[in-house]
Amino acid sequence: MRKVFDDYRALSDQAIQARSPRRAAFLEAMGKSLRSGENRAFWLPYVLSLDMCMKCGTCAEVCPLYLSSGRNALYHPVYRSDMLRKVYRRYFTLSGKLFPKVVGAEDLTEEKLDAMAENFYRCTVCRRCAYVCPVAIDNGLLAREGRKIFDAIGIAPDELKEKGTRLQLEAGNATGVKTPAFRDMVEFMEEDLQDTRGYQVQIPVDKKGAEYLVMHNTGDYPAFSETVMGAAEIFQAAGADWTVNSPDTGINDVVNYGVFFSDTEFEKVARAQVRTVRELGARVLVIGECGHAFEAMKYLIQRLIPAEERPFEVKSILEVYDEWIREGRIELDPAKNPEPVVYHDSCKAGRLGGLYEEPRRILKSACLDLREMTPNRELSYCCGGGSGFAIMSKGDFLKFRMETYGKIKEEQIRQTGAGVVALACSNCKGQFRDIINYYHLPVRIAGISELVANALVRGRDRRSEGITFAQAGGGSAAREVREDHDHRGVVASPAREGDPRPGFQERA
Amino acid sequence: MGLWFVIGGILPYLALLVGVGGLISRILRWARAPQHLHWELFPYPSTPAGQTGELLAEVFTLRSLYSYNLRFWLPSLTMHYGIYLVILWMGLSALGVRDTAVAGAAGGVLAVAGAAALVVIRAARRETRQITAPVEYLNLALVMAIGLSGLITGWFLQPEAFRRYVIGLASFSPVLPAAEQLAPILFLEVFLLYLPFSRMAHFAAKYFTYHKVKWGEMAR
Ligand code: SF4
Ligand code: SF4
Repeated sequence: MRKVFDDYRALSDQAIQARSPRRAAFLEAMGKSLRSGENRAFWLPYVLSLDMCMKCGTCAEVCPLYLSSGRNALYHPVYRSDMLRKVYRRYFTLSGKLFPKVVGAEDLTEEKLDAMAENFYRCTVCRRCAYVCPVAIDNGLLAREGRKIFDAIGIAPDELKEKGTRLQLEAGNATGVKTPAFRDMVEFMEEDLQDTRGYQVQIPVDKKGAEYLVMHNTGDYPAFSETVMGAAEIFQAAGADWTVNSPDTGINDVVNYGVFFSDTEFEKVARAQVRTVRELGARVLVIGECGHAFEAMKYLIQRLIPAEERPFEVKSILEVYDEWIREGRIELDPAKNPEPVVYHDSCKAGRLGGLYEEPRRILKSACLDLREMTPNRELSYCCGGGSGFAIMSKGDFLKFRMETYGKIKEEQIRQTGAGVVALACSNCKGQFRDIINYYHLPVRIAGISELVANALVRGRDRRSEGITFAQAGGGSAAREVREDHDHRGVVASPAREGDPRPGFQERA
Repeated sequence: MGLWFVIGGILPYLALLVGVGGLISRILRWARAPQHLHWELFPYPSTPAGQTGELLAEVFTLRSLYSYNLRFWLPSLTMHYGIYLVILWMGLSALGVRDTAVAGAAGGVLAVAGAAALVVIRAARRETRQITAPVEYLNLALVMAIGLSGLITGWFLQPEAFRRYVIGLASFSPVLPAAEQLAPILFLEVFLLYLPFSRMAHFAAKYFTYHKVKWGEMAR
């Protein structure tokens, strides 16, 4: 494909409308984005980020893309934000109109539009940079605002829009699966569970008025079926009144790709999801292992959809498991997962969702040897699957994901010596699956549900094994997690970790 | 004498009006923004005491720079302490506190040294040079101009003269200070006039980026 920015292309010439003039439309859409009444969702952080960057470069020191690319100037977070900022100054500020050179204002050209559109799809909006910026400027948000402007003039990756939000609104899920096929998959899973576990697990579909409606990323049914089956085993073991839903009921896919590129699309999907949950009458909507869906339903919809219009609770499936384990509602035997396991903090579940301890408590109960990558938690490096990237593989885009973000994760995993990477997010799973193949890593990925289900102590075993386990002295002390975490992690002292690779250290 | 009167007796009012008024109107614009969607980053301090603590730590130690961008930390910290000291000197001197000359002089020296060092490290490295527009240097140059002129003219060493001048302004019968102090006063006016339109308003913006965006209002 034609080179417009770097060696990769996230948007085809057709998607980017390379042959038609877009400049005027872009400026008009950008003008709208700058009016508070027309960008109610994010106006404040948007203008603050446009106006107040001090150009100190702190963001670059923590950006996974910038660091992993060997500090490629094109991938500097401020370089990306400045692409938008230069246009902002030139066309929307007095100083930029009067003294363009002084304030760094630049004319917009069609070529620059191409480059900009591409570059907005290099950042995963992981917001690691925003976490450390002295002024809390948000380069991730600016990339997303840029994508919004492009979407407003009809430019968006078809993986996210035509085959994403649009398909989801039409078919009920972004995989385009229809109800009969969906029911087939569920039945197949029930049979599979019968075969492998030797007991019957029921997966209720479309049950009205169930306490829990468990909505997965529909892509998990075919791609990460262990997660879906694991969840079924756990909900059954807990004796929960639960159900999954088919496209017959409306939306049966918890994803919302609007989170990645468009407030308009986001709102449409979110409203359709809320309607579905209401109609099914569930008391709790359980968000399956999907980071951005948790962000969307737990946080983003709060000020968009009034509380009285969503008479149900939203919980991550991690929160549910964590509660059940602590209440003793399900019992786990960590000896059933003896391999070393490392947990990767999904940006959306962690930095953006606040779920740091829940997955760790769960995994400590479910696995014998839980390890940590460094850095972790709020300073976790994005895996590179974020903001839709995991499902974008056109041209060389897979290579881009692997050679940049993926490279960091590959190193981190190797260092832990773990054989299993535990993941709580579908996009992360997709990305790690690709990383493992690309780098031939001797590890496998596992969903949290899969590991918990595997550790379940059931029925009769529950009493007898409980005793054996206690007698065997398998207390929690035997499986203390390797706590590598401290607030600064590797960041304050890269030397301590002795990481010799260039481009991986937070400070040069 | 005419020009001197404009600079010493008229411009201060205009500068204060524009500086303070402009800043307030900008803050009001932010404060009246439509409530954006939740966009916080975890973990964050959720109690007022915790938030104040973080805020003070950031203001007085520039912790983010120290932790993640050490190269910028000391120069930036030096400049900021210089500015804090000069502001302190102004406040105390205006109130009639004696012996503030040390604060004034130290403030001037630190501000100039810090800003100069920032210019150097900004210009010396490709990475920061590439993201720098001339306006960044202008901002630093303005800080240096105020500091240097205040030091060279001895302005920072004369709290009594400053107090007389402020009282004159406050009673709307400006007493013009000695002519050689024209420079620092002029630069300070330029600073005030420019402040609300520039990135130097970041101290006010931080309230919003932290309290309203990064920290959110949701307890977890
Ligand atoms: S760390 Fe923040 S203020 Fe500094 S250059 Fe990056 S975005 Fe701008
Ligand atoms: S959001 Fe993440 S990927 Fe994007 S610029 Fe910031 S640190 Fe880099």
